[in-house]
Amino acid sequence: MKLQGEYLFDGPRERVWEMLRDPNALARALPGTQSLEKLSENEYQGQMHVRIGPVAGLFAGRVTISNEVPPESCTLAVDGKGSPGFATGSGDVVLTDQGDGTTRLQYEGEFQVGGKLAAVGQRMVDTVSKSIIRQGLESLNEALREGVTGAAELEPAAEPEAQPSTGYRPPTETRFAAAVAKDVVKDYAGDLMAPEHRAVWLTGLVAILAMLVGYALGRNAGHD
Amino acid sequence: MSPKYVGQRISRTEDPRLLTGQALFVDDVNIPGMLHAAFLRSDYAHARLNSIDVSAARSRPGVIAVYTAQDMGDAWQHGPPLVIPPPTIQNMVFHTRTQVPLVKDKVRLIGEPLAVVIAESRYIAEDALEDIIADLQPLEAVGDLERALRPGAPLVHEELGSNLAAHFFQEKGNYKSARQQADLVIQKRILIDRGIAAAMENRGIVAHWDPKSQRLTLWDTTQSPIPIRNGLAGMFGLAEHQVRVIAPFVGGGFGPKIMMFYAEEMVLTWATLQIGRPIKWIEDRRENFYATTQERGQVHDAEMALTSDGRILGVRDSFLHDTGAYDPYGLTIPLNTQCHVLGPYDVPNYYAETTVVFTNRMIATPVRGAGRPQGVFVVERLLDLAARKLDMDRVEIRKRNLLPPDVFPYNNQIIDQAFAPLVLDSGNYLPLLEQAATRIGYQPFIREEQPRLRAEGKHVGIGVVMFIETTGVGPYEGARVTVEASGRISVATGVGTQGQGHFTSFAQIVADQLGVNIRDVELVTGDTAEFHWGTGTFASRGAVVAANAIHAAARAVRGKILRLASKVLEAPEEELELADGQVRVADMPEKSISLGKLAVLANPLRGAVQPGTEPGLEATDYFGPQYGATAAGAHAMILEVDPETMMVEIKRYVAVEDCGTVLNPLILDGQVHGGVALGIGNSYYEKLVFDDNGQLLNASLADYLIAAATEVPRIEVGHGYTLSPLNPLGTKGAGEAGTLPVPALFAQALEDALADHRLEVVEMPLSPNRLFELLQAAQESASGR
Repeated sequence: MKLQGEYLFDGPRERVWEMLRDPNALARALPGTQSLEKLSENEYQGQMHVRIGPVAGLFAGRVTISNEVPPESCTLAVDGKGSPGFATGSGDVVLTDQGDGTTRLQYEGEFQVGGKLAAVGQRMVDTVSKSIIRQGLESLNEALREGVTGAAELEPAAEPEAQPSTGYRPPTETRFAAAVAKDVVKDYAGDLMAPEHRAVWLTGLVAILAMLVGYALGRNAGHD
Repeated sequence: MSPKYVGQRISRTEDPRLLTGQALFVDDVNIPGMLHAAFLRSDYAHARLNSIDVSAARSRPGVIAVYTAQDMGDAWQHGPPLVIPPPTIQNMVFHTRTQVPLVKDKVRLIGEPLAVVIAESRYIAEDALEDIIADLQPLEAVGDLERALRPGAPLVHEELGSNLAAHFFQEKGNYKSARQQADLVIQKRILIDRGIAAAMENRGIVAHWDPKSQRLTLWDTTQSPIPIRNGLAGMFGLAEHQVRVIAPFVGGGFGPKIMMFYAEEMVLTWATLQIGRPIKWIEDRRENFYATTQERGQVHDAEMALTSDGRILGVRDSFLHDTGAYDPYGLTIPLNTQCHVLGPYDVPNYYAETTVVFTNRMIATPVRGAGRPQGVFVVERLLDLAARKLDMDRVEIRKRNLLPPDVFPYNNQIIDQAFAPLVLDSGNYLPLLEQAATRIGYQPFIREEQPRLRAEGKHVGIGVVMFIETTGVGPYEGARVTVEASGRISVATGVGTQGQGHFTSFAQIVADQLGVNIRDVELVTGDTAEFHWGTGTFASRGAVVAANAIHAAARAVRGKILRLASKVLEAPEEELELADGQVRVADMPEKSISLGKLAVLANPLRGAVQPGTEPGLEATDYFGPQYGATAAGAHAMILEVDPETMMVEIKRYVAVEDCGTVLNPLILDGQVHGGVALGIGNSYYEKLVFDDNGQLLNASLADYLIAAATEVPRIEVGHGYTLSPLNPLGTKGAGEAGTLPVPALFAQALEDALADHRLEVVEMPLSPNRLFELLQAAQESASGR
């Protein structure tokens, strides 16, 4: 399966790069993260609890980074496994300075999914992956705009009520899942009318690989 | 004696129990102290198992045991080959590779079990599966049949050096020379893809070793309790009498519940022997896509040689057959395919060549149809395409090639699944075709209705196809019939029942023989403690093999009744009649005795026993046919395609069946309806979709679409009655017949509906999406010319 897309950040390329290498920032942007561990300079291991729709469970992923050209580009290889199945693959991430203070992120990769992910989620994997990536990138962008640094601890995000009323609020697991589900419904609404799709739309389907891309982006280059 | 019950449209006596939830299914078995099993299955279709760590799972509270292949020690063994290839076929290559209880070193199919957790509840067992760390090194998987045979393809069984599981050919006449004389040769590549059986009840097992009584009891959704009993006893070193296998009510068999020696049957039996407590495993719906056998994948290169007036000179069919990762079921499916390509037609020259291929997919074993729908599809498609080339009517080209009624028994010479030459025992085909065409209104439709509807812009098409079905193969079945002191009749037979209405149709036979009310006949099926000789319910054989065994046993009991009653009533046997649960002297009805009283008298008191005395009004008898009885039929349909959505609506459906003596027309109708429903699924809805890595992409009933009430039309059933000379009842099987012709029929009607598009359907199953693609392709090739 191919994954491809782009996103425009409201900030200079160096800051985006820095942010993307900050696992704490990313973990906050991708809720459900239980651990994120640096194995070596170019290798990370993370665990995430995933519970969207019918697919739920702990997912352990490893990300290897290569071809790194800061702050421009890198290649990510991901290998994740868990009770929801597995995802493996690799992709390239490129950051382009737009010259107006914004930064364009482009990603392109090839992934394989298996197990429950493939069996139950195939119909939506594509949409959900893109949505998760977009949601993740959006909350990162929000953090970028608010000037949140990577110093924040990795801990479960509190409910919005407990947060200050202004500034960057990392999404909760529920809020994140709801946004993904909304995208899926939007994408498949037309399809659902067809009688052959009389079955229920399995709203939240996990695109683990998308999250792993997120992890990969969260590489900590030791700036803490 | 004229039959009072056989042939009558009698409501099924088992239905009140089934419909009110009073019937015992495997999942209803609950025993104090019972544990629950869950299996860890591979997410990869092909992988090396480097190591497996179950320590965390073992320490989870509520977990009783976790087992891997290593834990099974010497008890770990391959399942037995169930059907050997026919020794009568020359120059055969066949590599036997059978399934394993748990993966030891290499995963060969997606979902292959790696470990089992036995726990206090299914919840705990499933949670514990997540504690197991299996180090699987993924290998490239192979699913495409042609790619699987190319050099360098990933090997399912490395030691074989290729993925070739079997190769053989059979010939009748000389196709090569027939081809040289042909005016027309139709040559096509034909694809048929995989599906599941999707029984309403998934598989399930309760295995209980009682250490005190030293008895193993297994409740199993199997179609073949007796072979399972014998096999498990052998595998685990128990005497056969120590093992009791019960197949209670089963919610649909359709083939995959046959005597597989599934991993779960082997593992649960072994586990209960270790633990000494009952263990239950119920397959869940998603698991069913990975743990239960499937069928249909074949690639045919077929050709038909004809004269200019549409007479078949010969057929050549060379095909690849997907057996999945193992081939315990031998060549039953491809042999059926080879035989059914011949159909009801006079095919003087035939060359059939089969290559069976190992793939990283679930094992293929018969699914209702069992290779036959593929054969029917091939020959019917070739005939349709020939008719089109010759500008000949589709019904007419069939008429010209049907075997006439005076050729039976007709020897088609090639060996069939019964290991004997394919001899069509009886048949009268033309009336079936004519009945189907008349009932659907073929001529008026193509002359008047279709042109009118087309003028209105509607895309309507009609189809008429034929088929044969080999049924009722041996070896044999048996039954025991007993008159009890109450006057009630108990009948035990070895076959299991999965919804076929056996409790009614078998009782009808007995009730007629013994002159009792059908309600007084009590049947036990599928319990090895009640009857332990026989094989099982499959291959459309119940109404042929088991029914005739029951008939034979009932006749023997009738003989005993008459002999004893003759003494008691002091009247010659010829003057006695059996009716209303009594034996009476025909012209002196007051001189009578009830069967119950007679049964008491038949149990001799002290001093009344002489050498040779057999107690009771009871008899056991068997029936084994010389070879299979061949049924036939013709189906017709009218369908309409919506060219915007590609959705298809079947407007009318006619099924004409000839299965010899009809025991119960109501039950037969039900069999036909169910068969057609699966056939419709096989035509337009049911298809397993795999990606290049062997991942199954639609393992849920949300994505794998079963034809439901909205897709299955009202089906009109007509009959022919050509009795089989091979058994006393004159029956032929009907369990699979409904499924066989549907994809071929659907294809023909679809082409007719889209005649202006020059559509050619040479693959099944289709879907709205696939039909759209085919129409696009047809359009492009038309405009390219």
